[in-house]
Amino acid sequence: MELWVGAISLGLLYAFMTMGVFLTFRIHDFPDITVDGSFTAGAAWCAVLLTAGVHPLAALAAAFAVGLASGWTTAFIHTRFRINGLLSGILVMTALYSINLHVMGRSNIPLLNQETVFTRIALWNPGIHPEGWNALVLSGCLCFFWAALAFFFKTDLGIAMRVTGNNPAMAAANGRSVSGMTLFGVALANGFVGLSGAVVAQYQGFADIGMGIGTVVIGLAAVIIGEAILKGTSMFTRVLGVIVGSILFRFLIAAALFVGMNPIDLKLLTAIFVLLTLVISKSFRPAAKSRSPLVGIGRSRIGKKIAAAAVLLLAAALAGYAVWMHLGGQESKTVQIGVVQLTDNGLLNITRDALVQELGNLGYGPGKKGIIYLENAHGDLATVNTILDKFLQQNVDLVVTISTACTQAAINKIKSKPVVFSTIANPFIIGAGKSETDHLSNVTGVYGWVSMEKMLELSRSFIPGPMTIGAIWDPAQANSVFNVELLRKALQANPEITFQGATITSSAEVYTAAVSLVQKGIRAFVLSPDNLVYSAFDSVVKAAAAARIPIFIADVERLKDGALLAYGYDYTSSGIQAAQMVNRILKGEKPGAIPFERYSRVTIGLNLDVARRYGMNVPEDIRSQATRFIENGKVVSSRPSPNKAPSIGIVQFALEPNVELCKQGIQKALEDKGFTGSRTPEFLFRNAQAEISNISPIVQDMVRRKVDIIVPLSTPCVQAAARFAGGRPDVQVVFTYVYDPYRAGAARTATDHPANVTGVSCFPPIAEMLDLIRTMLPDKNIIGVVWNSSEANSESVLLQIRSHAAQTGQKILEATVTGPSEVLEASRSLALKGAQVFLNSGDNTLNVGFDSFAKVAAENKIPVFSVDSEFIEKGAMAVLGPDYYRTGYDGGLYLARILQGESPAAMPIQQTGATLFLLNLDAARSCGLAIRPEFLKKARKVYGKAGGKSIHE
Amino acid sequence: MIEIRDLHKRFNAGTGNECYALCGINLHIRPGEFVTVIGTNGSGKSTLLNAVAGTFSPDQGLIRIDGNDVTLRKEHERAHHIARVFQNPFTGTAAQMTIAENLHMAYLRDKKCFPRLGLTASRMAVYRQEASLLEMKLEDRLSSQIGSLSGGQRQALTLLMAVLTRPKVLLLDEHTAALDPKSAALVIGLTRRFIERDKLTALMVTHSMQQALELGDRTIMMHKGSVIDDIPGAEKRRLTVHDLLDKFNELRKSEQLTEELLSSLRQEYV
Ligand SMILES: Nc1ncnc2c1ncn2[C@@H]1O[C@H](COP(=O)(O)OP(=O)(O)OP(=O)(O)O)[C@@H](O)[C@H]1O
Ligand SMILES: [Mg+2]
Repeated sequence: MELWVGAISLGLLYAFMTMGVFLTFRIHDFPDITVDGSFTAGAAWCAVLLTAGVHPLAALAAAFAVGLASGWTTAFIHTRFRINGLLSGILVMTALYSINLHVMGRSNIPLLNQETVFTRIALWNPGIHPEGWNALVLSGCLCFFWAALAFFFKTDLGIAMRVTGNNPAMAAANGRSVSGMTLFGVALANGFVGLSGAVVAQYQGFADIGMGIGTVVIGLAAVIIGEAILKGTSMFTRVLGVIVGSILFRFLIAAALFVGMNPIDLKLLTAIFVLLTLVISKSFRPAAKSRSPLVGIGRSRIGKKIAAAAVLLLAAALAGYAVWMHLGGQESKTVQIGVVQLTDNGLLNITRDALVQELGNLGYGPGKKGIIYLENAHGDLATVNTILDKFLQQNVDLVVTISTACTQAAINKIKSKPVVFSTIANPFIIGAGKSETDHLSNVTGVYGWVSMEKMLELSRSFIPGPMTIGAIWDPAQANSVFNVELLRKALQANPEITFQGATITSSAEVYTAAVSLVQKGIRAFVLSPDNLVYSAFDSVVKAAAAARIPIFIADVERLKDGALLAYGYDYTSSGIQAAQMVNRILKGEKPGAIPFERYSRVTIGLNLDVARRYGMNVPEDIRSQATRFIENGKVVSSRPSPNKAPSIGIVQFALEPNVELCKQGIQKALEDKGFTGSRTPEFLFRNAQAEISNISPIVQDMVRRKVDIIVPLSTPCVQAAARFAGGRPDVQVVFTYVYDPYRAGAARTATDHPANVTGVSCFPPIAEMLDLIRTMLPDKNIIGVVWNSSEANSESVLLQIRSHAAQTGQKILEATVTGPSEVLEASRSLALKGAQVFLNSGDNTLNVGFDSFAKVAAENKIPVFSVDSEFIEKGAMAVLGPDYYRTGYDGGLYLARILQGESPAAMPIQQTGATLFLLNLDAARSCGLAIRPEFLKKARKVYGKAGGKSIHE
Repeated sequence: MIEIRDLHKRFNAGTGNECYALCGINLHIRPGEFVTVIGTNGSGKSTLLNAVAGTFSPDQGLIRIDGNDVTLRKEHERAHHIARVFQNPFTGTAAQMTIAENLHMAYLRDKKCFPRLGLTASRMAVYRQEASLLEMKLEDRLSSQIGSLSGGQRQALTLLMAVLTRPKVLLLDEHTAALDPKSAALVIGLTRRFIERDKLTALMVTHSMQQALELGDRTIMMHKGSVIDDIPGAEKRRLTVHDLLDKFNELRKSEQLTEELLSSLRQEYV
């Protein structure tokens, strides 16, 4: 319920903004981008006033006024200086970012314990569900605004405004000042937007500097959806359409989340949905005069039917999927844990992965008791709310929030379920509690910040005496400001150190900021945690290296990028501790009784390469405290475990029997080489589900997880691994199950390959195959091959076939196909042209359509040879191809050698020599052929009536 | 009513495509006078009307309406007393709004706009009454969008809107040029009727010799941004199309018209 009712509430709150967008885009025909800024401005002022104790309604009025002023400014720039409307909007929006930040004083203001319109509304709740009550009151409110705005459009002023938008020349000729009207209209529109920002802030319980990003697109989408649903020229219909559109838009997002869509796709979905709405609504409007080529389709009866059918199908599919998921969700009576993170940020991902892993250890997760829902808002705060609604809808038992913003939203929204937070610096500033033990009764979690005193102390042991340190931070992030404050406080105890600061607003500015600090003569960079600075850390390194200035940083992950010393939390510990709290709560403990915990693990890391380069001595006591070192570009742990289990990530393109054989071979080889017991490798198996786009994220994820070796199986996986892991110092790549690594671009020759990439290829034994056909069936030398010319692998095989056939005098008949459905006809054409033997060269398209190939062969009594062993019982008479198990085994041997310390750089790429020769007597007989005993003897296995004899290696 | 003194306008001054559109116009139009304006393409007729309406500010000169200096007044301020009908029927009306709303817009021309209900029952009655003057059955369609009307209907409506508030000055810029002959005749008929009814001071640009001679009390001829001839009402009544052509010939003789210009005028007006 919450999900849908929440969507209605959110839709109603955003409807104010949509009405504003309607006013500018539709009434004034003015492309107003100010919206992104004025939305935040409304929220910012509202939040500041609320915390100052102003009445919530007064704060809303102020937000309206602020929006008004923002819009007026845009229109003023546009009308007075004749600057393009779009550009004026961008200018004001950009300026508002800084202004909003100044107004708020920080990037995020929590309103958790403030009185808001919603706490007021709750007082009058006659006893219905709070979210439902909110929606009810809001609908009443919106009804009023709907009537008021629609009425306004019918007044003298409203009519004049609409005329001005519709035909400015006529308005001017009729005594209306176009610029005055534009000023008024754009201001009013942004007033609505500011109001919307303010109510959204009150609803979600905080204002955030980033909450306005993308608002204008949402507004446009809602306007367009509304127009498509409610058609009519009456202003009452049009304004209602805008409100309905806003709600429908939120429903769309809720539905997408409900069916388990990745939020990363939401923007794409929005775009597609809006496009679809536009196209379809055009098709339904017969009078519409448009140059769009689609209208032609839409005008015709059939076009309309198709469009209607498409809409219905889409709706039905979504609804069906939703119901199916819903039923599926209800069947399980196990524990459900919802995990939400704000962005796809390294630290948050580390936390999440550690959390999931530890939950797994504790018995929750896939295949065990309990379901874990992992959601990522991709930086969109409104999406966080919708995700939380979805969790409530799914009736999860517990919500884990990763990052401050998610926690803030969760503790505001969720009152009746436990919330466990993690990876947040300070839970007290967002109102989660007063102290570690005195906190909200349903909330607990893990937090912590790095001690800046310790950080300074560590830097002092490298650079004693008076010195200037430089710090860079983004004043828009609450977290960064908090950490810089800590650093400044720590400095008060060190009068010998002077502080030089530089602030930035985007990662692009980091380099300039760093250079400016270097020019001011700093002796060291001390970088307190800041997402932007850390993400652009390379820029700091670049600026610092030129002047040989050491960098001290609070993130151990950044050590190898060029910091001298890192002192930071181990974010895995955040995830692990949070998982343990989850376990305690699920076992029955009350969250209110579990004190907040600080991260337990800190790490000191030293980059000895940097120390050497800068000629700095590493003091012995620091060396003894550190647990992680970078030496010669490699990560060295101070407590190396020689018998540590290696981790191996295996990525395959799709589920195929041969790949499974290959994987078995890899595992067997490692076992044979002594990787058993405590050294049994930790395998990470990943399957791209036959989608190319899935491969690179899988490989990148493996790199991030720091697997020792990545093993890509099949050509696209090898390409992705070479692209994303090739040349990296921290990971090795050993490929196998690939025909031609050279064509795939993974290497130039067997010995000329990236230093960390090697492997075993398995090009089909073409020469042997052609010889086999020649010796087995000397009177048949016209060979038919069906292949897909757009497959690179097939092409290399065919080149070989052609050149060998030219030597042996065999004639090759080729038929190319573009899909499996064409195989039948292609095979028939080969039979007609007189092919005496059919050869399956291992083409993927042919493999799928092999049955047709075999059928035509059988009809014409043509024997089939295949390089793919799969088909020996499906119509092939003989198979001569790579032995995939042995290929895997060879690959496994390479893995073992690398794990034992050999460098892949010195290991040439190897072509597997192992082949598999299989025969099928039934197939031979049906072609009227007999196989000579010498071949039967050679075959690894003989199928069919006469035999069943199998020969093992 | 209208007094223009030494009016100059240069467009895109100082650039490659500078255009001296008005070079020293002097014109005095008495109250209730109906003046037709003729001239070749690009001679500055529309520019003259625009100058009176205030679409741009002149480089030099003075414009007085009803004794008030309006030279520096903005277009929408002058609109209280000046009504216009454009050549393009689409310019004079707001297509996405209803007939009644358009009429209301015209009604508000000399008034301030407040947020009070616009189309009250009494206003609608007035508009129905006014629309019936056009004899196009538009009084029954007051709530339909202007966009659904024909060009002739739109232009007739624009004319109705222009005279709705009895303006001091009516400016008509080739307002029948985009219409078919039947609609044009109808609109011209209405024009004559309304001007006579309200005794309006009007300035009408036309390319039809017939119209220029038949309508109005006075005709002025423009060429290259100047008024080259001014035919008073008495003389005009005696003139025929042929007389006008002779006039062109005379002008040619006085070297004000070249041969080609003459032929172009003949083509246009005869
Ligand atoms: N806004 C403007 N910017 C630049 N040049 C202009 C502008 N308005 C008019 N002109 C130029 O001024 C000259 C006079 O134009 P105007 O439109 O007044 O001619 P016209 O007599 O109305 O011609 P027509 O019979 O074709 O309507 C033309 O050369 C025209 O190009
Ligand atoms: Mg003109």
